[in-house]
Amino acid sequence: MREIIKITIALTISCLLAGTLIGITFIFTAKAKQQNEHLNVQQTMFALLGYGKSRPAPPELRLHQVHRYIVKDGDKMRMGYMVPVRKEDGEGYAFVVLDLNGRFLEHHSLDITPDEALSDEDRKKALMRVLKDPAEFEFSDTMIIACMGDERTAYLVPGEFPGFKTFIKAMVALDTDFKLLGLEVIEHEEDPGLGGEITQDYFKNQFVGKPFDTLKSLTVVKEPLPADYERYLRSMGTEDSGLSARQVAEIQKHYQDKDIYALTGATISSAAVTDGVKAMTRKFAYRIQILDQAVDAGNVPVLF
Amino acid sequence: MAATTKTNTQLVVNGLLNENPIFRLALSMCPAVGISTTVANGLLLGVAVLFVQVFSSCTISLIKDHIHPRIRIPTYTLTIATWVTVIDLVLAAFLPVAYKAMGIFVRLIVAFAIITMRLEVFACRNTVVASFWDGIGMGFGFMFGMVALGTVREILGMGTFLGYDVLGFRPLLFFVLPAAGFFLVGFMMAVFNYVETVYNRRAKRGS
Amino acid sequence: MKKDVAALMTVFLLAAALLISGCNTPRFIKKAEFKETDLIVLTFAGPVDETWAGDSTNFTVNEKPDPDILLDIRSVGLSADQTRLTIEFSEPINQDQPHQVIVKEVLSEGKNLGTQTISVSKSYFGYIFGIFLGALLIQNFVFSKYLGLCVFFGTSQKKTTAVGMGITFTAVIVFASFMSWFLYQFVLKPYRLDFLQIIVFIGLVSLTVQGVDTILRKINPGLFKAFGVYLVLVIANCIVIAVPLILADNEYNMIESLMLALGAGLGFLLALFLMSSVRERLDFADIPVSYRGLPIAFIVAGLFALSFMGFSGMSIF
Repeated sequence: MREIIKITIALTISCLLAGTLIGITFIFTAKAKQQNEHLNVQQTMFALLGYGKSRPAPPELRLHQVHRYIVKDGDKMRMGYMVPVRKEDGEGYAFVVLDLNGRFLEHHSLDITPDEALSDEDRKKALMRVLKDPAEFEFSDTMIIACMGDERTAYLVPGEFPGFKTFIKAMVALDTDFKLLGLEVIEHEEDPGLGGEITQDYFKNQFVGKPFDTLKSLTVVKEPLPADYERYLRSMGTEDSGLSARQVAEIQKHYQDKDIYALTGATISSAAVTDGVKAMTRKFAYRIQILDQAVDAGNVPVLF
Repeated sequence: MAATTKTNTQLVVNGLLNENPIFRLALSMCPAVGISTTVANGLLLGVAVLFVQVFSSCTISLIKDHIHPRIRIPTYTLTIATWVTVIDLVLAAFLPVAYKAMGIFVRLIVAFAIITMRLEVFACRNTVVASFWDGIGMGFGFMFGMVALGTVREILGMGTFLGYDVLGFRPLLFFVLPAAGFFLVGFMMAVFNYVETVYNRRAKRGS
Repeated sequence: MKKDVAALMTVFLLAAALLISGCNTPRFIKKAEFKETDLIVLTFAGPVDETWAGDSTNFTVNEKPDPDILLDIRSVGLSADQTRLTIEFSEPINQDQPHQVIVKEVLSEGKNLGTQTISVSKSYFGYIFGIFLGALLIQNFVFSKYLGLCVFFGTSQKKTTAVGMGITFTAVIVFASFMSWFLYQFVLKPYRLDFLQIIVFIGLVSLTVQGVDTILRKINPGLFKAFGVYLVLVIANCIVIAVPLILADNEYNMIESLMLALGAGLGFLLALFLMSSVRERLDFADIPVSYRGLPIAFIVAGLFALSFMGFSGMSIF
C-alpha cells in the first residue's frame, strides 16, 4: 500500500512540475507568437503592394481593416461589417448591419481603440456591448482596403482553401478594378519540391496582371512553361530581367489572358491555388460592391 | 550495463558514427524518410531533436535515484513530452514558416524511439555530465544523418542547397518524391554496412 | 480475426444509420441534389404550381459559409409531372461546398406551404468514405506519410507477426483516437488548453494500451497470448500519436474521426501484410551482403511507396 502512495505522489509531483514548465513556456511564447504573426502579415501586405526594404511605404498609405461577421438574430441571418469611420473626436469604428440581399439596415458606433480592434477578443466584447439583444454573431473574415490619403488604391484579401494535403492560406492583392496585383502563399503543407513550388515566383507571378474577367474563368493547363515567360516571371520585381521594355510589354500582352501553367508533378496543388484565388476574388468583388452601396445608403462616414 | 567508461569525446563520436541513430541503430526512421527533402528541414528537426535529447537525458539522469522502477517508462514519456511541448511552442512562436514546413513531425518527436532508448540504456545509469555528452552525440548523429540525406535529395532533386541555386537545373525530380527517401536510406545503410565490413576485415588482417 | 469482423460490422451499421438519417426528411421537399456542374435538382412530395415555379425570384441559393453571396440563377425548369424542379445557374457551382436553397412560399395544388430551406451537399457517406479511403490508400500512413516506420520494419519479417501487429494496432488506434477526440473537443479546446495536447494524447495512448493489456489478460488469456506481445510496440508507433494530432488540427467530427482512425489502422495492416509477404521471399533471394536485412527492406518499401503514388488524386464519389 505504501508503494502505491509513493508512486502516486511521485507521479503527481512530476506532472505538476511538467505542467508548470509548459505553462510558463506557453505564457512566454504566446505573446511573441502573436507579435511575430502580426509582423509577418504586415510585411506580406506591404510586399504585395510593392513596398519593401528598397522601397519603403509612404506615410500616407493606410491599411484599413474591415471585419465581416455573420449575425444571427432569431432565425434571421444578417451580415455585419466592422468598418473604420470618422467621428467628431477623430477616428473610430462602426458596425454596419446589412440583410442578406445587401440592403442597409442599421449602424452602431463602437467603443473600441485601434489597438483593441486588432484582437478578436476585444472586438467581440465591443460588439457584445452594442448588440444587446440575444443576437449571436460569428467572425468570418477580414479584408483590407489600402488607401493613399483619401483615395482607394488597392484591396488585400486573405483567404484559405483546400490544397492537395491540407489547407493553403494565401493573400491576394487587387486593384480597384479587381485586377490581380499579387499573390502570396502564407501557409501550406504541400510536398516540398512538388506542390511546395506554389510559393515560387515563377508560379505565383503567373497570376499577376490578370484582369477580373479572365480571373473569373481561370483554369490550369498541363503544358510546360514557355522559356521566355518563365524568365519574365522569375525576374518580376527585380531590376535585372535581361529583357527589354518592349519584350516585357509583349510578354505581358501575350500571356495576360492565358490560363495558369500547372507545376510539374503537382497539377492538383496548382489547380487548388487557381480555384482558391478565383473564388476569393469573386467573393470579395461581390461583397465590396454591396458594402459600398450599403455604406452610401446609410451615410456611414467611412474612412475608405 | 554499468556506468560508461568512455570519455566525453568518445561519447560524441559514438553517437555520430558507431551508433548513428539513423544508419546504425535504425531508429527514428520516420523523419529520415519523411522530411529529409531539404537540408534546412533536416537541420531544423535535428536541432529540435538535439534539444529534446539533451534536456531529457539531463533531466532523467538528475532524478534517476528518485524514479520508482515501476513507473520508469511513464516518467520517461512525461519528461520527453514536456520538452517536446516546450520546443514546439518556441519554434511555432519564433520560426513560424519553417515550423509549418515540418508539419506534425516536431510534435512527433515524442514518439521517436531513439530518445526513449537513450534514456533507458544510458541516462538512467550515468552521471549528468556523461548523459549530456551522450545526448549531444546522439542529437548531432541524428542531425548529421538528416543533413546527409537532405543534401543528396535537395541537390539531386531540386538543384539547390539550403535554398540557394547551385546547379541551375533540376537533375532528377524523383529524389524529392516520398519514395526516394526509402531508397536513399536503404542505400546509405548499405554503404555504412559495407564500410564496416571492410574496416573489420582490415582490423582482423592487421591483428 | 474475430475483432476485425466486429470492426467491419460496426462500420456497416454506422454507414446504414447515416444513410437512413440522411434520407429521412419528412418535409415537402423530398430531395435536393447536385447534377452536372451547374444544376441543382429539387424533388417535391407532390406537384407544385407551374407559374410559381417559373418565377426564379422564389428561389435563392447560396454556399453555406457565405449566406450573403446569392448565386445567379439562369432559369428554373419543371418536369412534366410537376414534382421535379431543376435550377440552372449561369456559372458552374462549387459542388464540394454544401449549398443552401431557400424556396419561398411553395404553392402546391392551390395551398401555400410557406418558405422552406434545404441544404444540398455531396453525399455525406461519400465524404466520410473518402476520408477512410484517403487514410487507407491515398495518404497511406506508412507509404505516403512515412510514419510508424520503426515498428513497420521491426514487425514485417513474418506474415503471422505482421497480421497480429496490424490487428492489435487497429483496435488500439480506433479506441485511443476516439478517446482523444472526445478529450480534445470537450476539455482541451473549450478551456484553451490545446498547448497540452502532446502530453495528454501520449498519456491517453499509454493508458489505453495499459488498459487493453489488463482487460485482455483477465477476460481472454488466449487472445492475450496471441496479441499481448504487440501491445507494448503500439506505443512506440508514431501513427498512434499522429492520428489524434491530425484530428485535432482538422477539427473532424466523431464519425469522421473514427473513419480516419480506422483507415489509418487498416492502412498499417495492409502495409505490414504486403511488406511481410515480400520479405518472406527475400529470405531465399541472393542479396549482396551489405544490403541484407534492413537496407533491402527499405528499397522494397520505396518500390511500394512508388506504386502507392498511383492512388494519389483518386476519388470514387
